[in-house]
Amino acid sequence: MLLTQIALNALALGSAYALVAIGFVLVLNATTAVNFAHGEGVVAGGFAAVALAILLPPDIPIPGLLLLPGVLLVTALLGLAIGALAYLPIRKRPPISVFVSTIAVGIIIANGLNATFGAAPRTAPPLIGVGTIEFLGASLSRQSLAIIGITAVLMSGLAMVLQRTQLGRQFRACAQDPEMARALGIRLTRITMISFALGTAFAGAAGLLLAHQFFISPSDGGTLILKAYIAVVIGGWGSLRGAAAGAMLIAFFEVGVATFSSQPLAEGLLYIAVLLVLFFRPQGLFGEPQQVRV
Amino acid sequence: MNARTSMSVAGGAALTIYALFFASSYDQRILTLSGIYVILVLGYQFIFGHAGALSLAQGAFFGVGAYTTGILGSKFGADFLLTFPLSIVVAATLAALVSLPVLRLKTHYFALATLALSQLLLLVAINWEPVTGGANGLPGVPPVTILDWKLTRGLPLLTFVWAIVGMAMVIAHMQMRAGRVAAFTVMRETPLAAPSFGIDSGMLRLRAFLLSAAFGGAAGALFVHTNRVVSPETLGFGVMITCLTMTVVGGRFGILGAVIGALLLTHLPEWFRGFDEYYLVAVGILLLAAVVFAPEGIVALIAPAKAPHENDKPSLHTQSKRASATKPSRLALEAIDLAKSYGGVRALDGVTLSFGPGEIVGVIGPNGAGKTTLANVLTGLTPVDQGTIRLGGRDITNTPAHIIARMGLARTFQTPQLPNALTVRDLVETTQRAHGMSPAADEALDLLTIRSIADARCDTLPHGLRRQVEIARAIATNPGILVLDEPAAGLSPDEQDEIAAICISLSASGMAILLIDHNIEFLSPCVSRLICMEAGRVIADGASDETLTNPDVRNAYFGVISS
Amino acid sequence: MRTLPRLVITFATGMAAILSLVTTSHAEPLRVPVLVPITGFLSLEGTSQKNGAELALVGTDVSFSVIDTATAPEIAINAFERAVDASDVVSVIAPMLGTQMLALVPLADEFGIPLITVSGTAKITELGSPNVYRFFPGDAVVKAAQARYAVEELDASRPAIISQTTAYGQSGRAALEANLRRIGTPPVFQESMDVSVKDMLPVLLKVRDSGADALLLQLHSGPTALVIRHAKALGLDIPIIAGSAMHQPETAALLEPAELKGVCAESGSSPVSETSEEMQAFVDAYRRSFDREPDAFALGQYDGAQMILAAIAAGAQTADAVRSHLQTARHEGLAMTYKSDGKGNMAHSAVIICYDGTGRVPQIVKRYENLTGVLLD
Repeated sequence: MLLTQIALNALALGSAYALVAIGFVLVLNATTAVNFAHGEGVVAGGFAAVALAILLPPDIPIPGLLLLPGVLLVTALLGLAIGALAYLPIRKRPPISVFVSTIAVGIIIANGLNATFGAAPRTAPPLIGVGTIEFLGASLSRQSLAIIGITAVLMSGLAMVLQRTQLGRQFRACAQDPEMARALGIRLTRITMISFALGTAFAGAAGLLLAHQFFISPSDGGTLILKAYIAVVIGGWGSLRGAAAGAMLIAFFEVGVATFSSQPLAEGLLYIAVLLVLFFRPQGLFGEPQQVRV
Repeated sequence: MNARTSMSVAGGAALTIYALFFASSYDQRILTLSGIYVILVLGYQFIFGHAGALSLAQGAFFGVGAYTTGILGSKFGADFLLTFPLSIVVAATLAALVSLPVLRLKTHYFALATLALSQLLLLVAINWEPVTGGANGLPGVPPVTILDWKLTRGLPLLTFVWAIVGMAMVIAHMQMRAGRVAAFTVMRETPLAAPSFGIDSGMLRLRAFLLSAAFGGAAGALFVHTNRVVSPETLGFGVMITCLTMTVVGGRFGILGAVIGALLLTHLPEWFRGFDEYYLVAVGILLLAAVVFAPEGIVALIAPAKAPHENDKPSLHTQSKRASATKPSRLALEAIDLAKSYGGVRALDGVTLSFGPGEIVGVIGPNGAGKTTLANVLTGLTPVDQGTIRLGGRDITNTPAHIIARMGLARTFQTPQLPNALTVRDLVETTQRAHGMSPAADEALDLLTIRSIADARCDTLPHGLRRQVEIARAIATNPGILVLDEPAAGLSPDEQDEIAAICISLSASGMAILLIDHNIEFLSPCVSRLICMEAGRVIADGASDETLTNPDVRNAYFGVISS
Repeated sequence: MRTLPRLVITFATGMAAILSLVTTSHAEPLRVPVLVPITGFLSLEGTSQKNGAELALVGTDVSFSVIDTATAPEIAINAFERAVDASDVVSVIAPMLGTQMLALVPLADEFGIPLITVSGTAKITELGSPNVYRFFPGDAVVKAAQARYAVEELDASRPAIISQTTAYGQSGRAALEANLRRIGTPPVFQESMDVSVKDMLPVLLKVRDSGADALLLQLHSGPTALVIRHAKALGLDIPIIAGSAMHQPETAALLEPAELKGVCAESGSSPVSETSEEMQAFVDAYRRSFDREPDAFALGQYDGAQMILAAIAAGAQTADAVRSHLQTARHEGLAMTYKSDGKGNMAHSAVIICYDGTGRVPQIVKRYENLTGVLLD
């Protein structure tokens, strides 16, 4: 019963992290660039939920789930802005320039939110109500179940788009070989901008999912991008499956290992585990081994 | 004096006058901090700029230096002459300890490993309260004290820090002379091929990593003396991000870039204080603008460099101190029963072959027959699963590629592996230096009649010339064995004839040549023997006519047509 | 939204501020620069500090400017050097982050300028500096109140502590444990955690398994609310006595009144809970000026700034004169009576607040006056 609860919490937290990490990989695969403002995308999603909830009449309790389309829209637009300002002008330059241009965008978003909303952590409405559901002797939090459910829907939607649609095929082509994709007539700029919109919207959705249960504050972006980066690399650079697995690994340490040790120890053990994985699998969990081909 | 040097001198003079006569005590403090960041960034340029590795441990080395000085200073009041060198040594030792498992990792895997290391150290600093003071850190770090001489805040400290910055610049300059910069460039831009040119990538990376750690430790030590307190923020990710940002905004190579990045990023937040709670938004906007308008660093806008070495003028006019030997060493290469699998695919399956001085041996075979794998295995780029390779009678099986190259085995690649930023002469001479020879490119360039392009950058060359440059680089070290992987691909018939003629003249002087190609018209006139491969096996090995008429070969090559 | 006009106005004032640096002013008023963290993870508390100081200083002859110290020591030092570059600085409102205070104290001593802060970190008044003045009860006071309330009023015999791995958390944790030991009820469980921790289930399960009968917190605002929310969700039914972060209205705003039922916390004061006329006037003025609810940090900083104004009104025109006033005088502030204990600890009283489950405004259930005995002199 206890273990069920720990597992459910880990799964819920891991789901939210996985959305962040997958959004990061979507941009990465379309552009080969690291979007360091991605953590602020999560924060922006959380604050979009907070702001939308304020705009709605306060006496009718609106479930947070209904805010999802609005949050996705706002953060998709934010993603377009990030792509247009911080990526497109320098896309032919060393990828590390994009690293820093997106760091700059992150500074702008975080401090803009801090100055307008204030520094206090905020909370968004619960997704589908509060409380627990009794199941097989374990009390399962509605909020956790909702986080897992919404994540599952969003991820299946993404998988459908990637596998069944023309857009998805173009996406995968760009991820494998951008030069070839361009030669085949795929409009790279369009794919790039869509990836920024989609990737940031995924981050925004995670922001909404996290904002009730775990709150959101303007300075949260830094730790979130760190977690996404760890998840994506340890999973295998560019692998969507790997990113989700990496996110679950982090949540397993934060919730599972922390239960049986202590929080600082669990964090230390996570980093040691990361180093061990890299020692035995230098290409990450789901990464392709790098072959010499010159 | 070129434009960049005169600009640096003028800027330095202006800054000195400002610091001495116009700067308030606050301005002097910001300048002192800038100087410390210059040292940090100079260090980061080694690993991030020259070695091209995204290290996220520079902040950790900074913090380790900071804590070494902080703990010894605040608890024991130790002298600067002890704490400063010790801070450098501790940081460099840490780098040495982790280098073995970490430095072999590629790209973002290396970045993550260095990040995990930094985060571990941060955890220790926060949670080991009795030693580190925990999150509060340790107050009461003494000012810089050298044998009872205490350095006061303001101008004395500013002068002292910038004197150390000067020393750091001299060390960085000496470490990064033109020749070594070029070797780093080859390693960074053609990482997979670099060992085949005799470049010991492992040593270069290690050197860069240790230097970056030592500089980071020095900067951290000075930082603690400047703030008189050491706290976990020195180990935090913030320092790393600051350092990375300074390096990218200023410039990834060269002293001027480090100075510009550090000065700008330290002053930027101070300039925008008037915007109250929006000042960091303003900083972000300006930072974004800086990267968008100067993606290669501001230094590239001020004085565009044609190649990333502003330290030295390339040795354009110091050629031919000693003429290189004209006769290649006579070597034979022997491969016995080589096998290599990728996953389930047997790329090489029991390959045995040998050739010696004066021979030109052609290797043909359909796509996927294992020809390039053979070249990679023979030159040591790819380890074999089984079998033996002998070079001049010595067993070189699974010997590192740069050692094999230095023993006299040179090669070219299917796609020419030329770093964009180097000139043809620098490229050739870098290879010669890596082989322990004096740089003298002219002879090799003359042999291919491309001396006229000696000072052109490689990225400006058309395809045909790129192949010739590759061959010139390969023969410039007078190798006993030359392996050419599809040298004629994409060349005009005239150019092909030229390459064939060069091969014939080289073999006449005693070089052994392995020519891998599809093109039988190109191979037939010049080879003394022709080997045909299919599915990782040698299916024919003999005189040109024999091999071409062999039924297995006809079947493999023209299978679809002849059956 | 009115964000855009605000942004424009701020940029305009920013430009004006830069221009005003060029066109130098002639009159030389006394200065009290305000150095507080208004960005980074402590900006909530720092903004309270700023607002409290501003409310006291606006409209007086004293000139002040706000400089952000963010979260790193070197930025605090930069801010200090920038602030004291001007002449006639008689005192500095200093950041509440302990690490930054530790970095500023040697400088304050060198320049001879007293620092007025609300930092609770024990160490800052233990350095022997005559320039640190703390207008919020230090850990020695509030942690005694927290421990005593748990043990004496709530009959806890097996307390557990959850603290943050920050300067605030570590300093408070040590004081809390010492106080619990002194009154014979050492903690049965302790754990420290990072501010970024999201799920509190792991630590709460350990608290439950330890058989603790009271949970004492020393956490920042967000984590405090997280622990309370997750403890209620887990059904962990033991009293929670939180640290001073709980009394901040922003913390209570994160939770539903029902979740807050039975939660108590220590604080230096709780402006929104008080009913006296003077306090009501302060709360109203604060709301009007900043569109926010005041907390004890704002009030402490307000009282501290008022004491400087009192010193100036009493004729102090230099930093030395202000310092001697701070060292010797007794100040009747809004929150409490302030007097230095000789080390710069000005505040000696604490309150315990509790939430009854009907709203987000707590009641003051217990006042611990003059815990150090200094005020009797």
